[in-house]
Amino acid sequence: MKKSDILWQADYRYNFDRDLWVNPKAKKAFSVEFVDDNVEGEIVRRIEQRTNGNGWTFYFNTDPSDGVKRVLEQVLG
Amino acid sequence: MTPKRTIEDHLKIEDLLREEYFELLPALRRLAMQLETEIRSLTLPILHNLRPYEQLVVKSRVKECESALNTLLGPKEGRTFDPDRPGGYSLLQLPDLAGVRVLVFPNNRLIQVDDALRDRFADWTPKPIKYGGGSAQAPKYFGYCNEISRNIRGEYQVVPMLLGLFWEVEHAAMYKFRPAANSKDMRNHRTVVEDSLISFENGMECFVRDNIGKYPENPSKN
Repeated sequence: MKKSDILWQADYRYNFDRDLWVNPKAKKAFSVEFVDDNVEGEIVRRIEQRTNGNGWTFYFNTDPSDGVKRVLEQVLG
Repeated sequence: MTPKRTIEDHLKIEDLLREEYFELLPALRRLAMQLETEIRSLTLPILHNLRPYEQLVVKSRVKECESALNTLLGPKEGRTFDPDRPGGYSLLQLPDLAGVRVLVFPNNRLIQVDDALRDRFADWTPKPIKYGGGSAQAPKYFGYCNEISRNIRGEYQVVPMLLGLFWEVEHAAMYKFRPAANSKDMRNHRTVVEDSLISFENGMECFVRDNIGKYPENPSKN
């Protein structure tokens, strides 16, 4: 299955403004670069990964700065 | 103690940049017009001597506001201005807020146009556009027009016409839809199109070279 199909089926939607795959309910976001650079199995593993549920989890190749995280958390809701 | 910044900081960055854009806009328009006028004037002798099948088109443009913001943001993951970035952001960091594109057909006119403009823009910085898998390049320069502004850089480029027209559609599609730009398939499609266009342009140039002398220099002048 294509990575975009895997994300779509897991309720991730593409955010054109930020070039992110976002699931507000799971509070997770994948950068398009992370999706491109990782194999399907890794994407599935990260989708299924448990988080503490308090804040957003960002799957980026390079960790976003605290400032960018703060902005994204508020923009994404 | 410095208070924690909030979402307003980020929105403020974007809004401040938009404000900066609209403050610069009158100068950007003047810069585009100045460049277009000068380039039209300097290429006029070439235009007058074009053969019937040859073309030379001069187009100026001012970068749109949102496009300028996106360019300033660059290909950064998450496409978000960092409120903590030291030094902040300014649109004046961009070299191509106003520019001119000269489209020529066939390719042998490209060098001629480039040469015609070099003296006037001798102090501008070259940054050629690479295409065809890096095997070919088109001239591009950026610099200041001091008559208009000592802060805003302008840009001009001289490109093969077929490729230039293709890029108008391709760049917008690929840059505004990152998954397409990153897709290996789409990159392959782009290379196939570029190679075909290059082949047509080179073919025309070869045909002209091989048959020069069999046709009048400029029949429309007869």
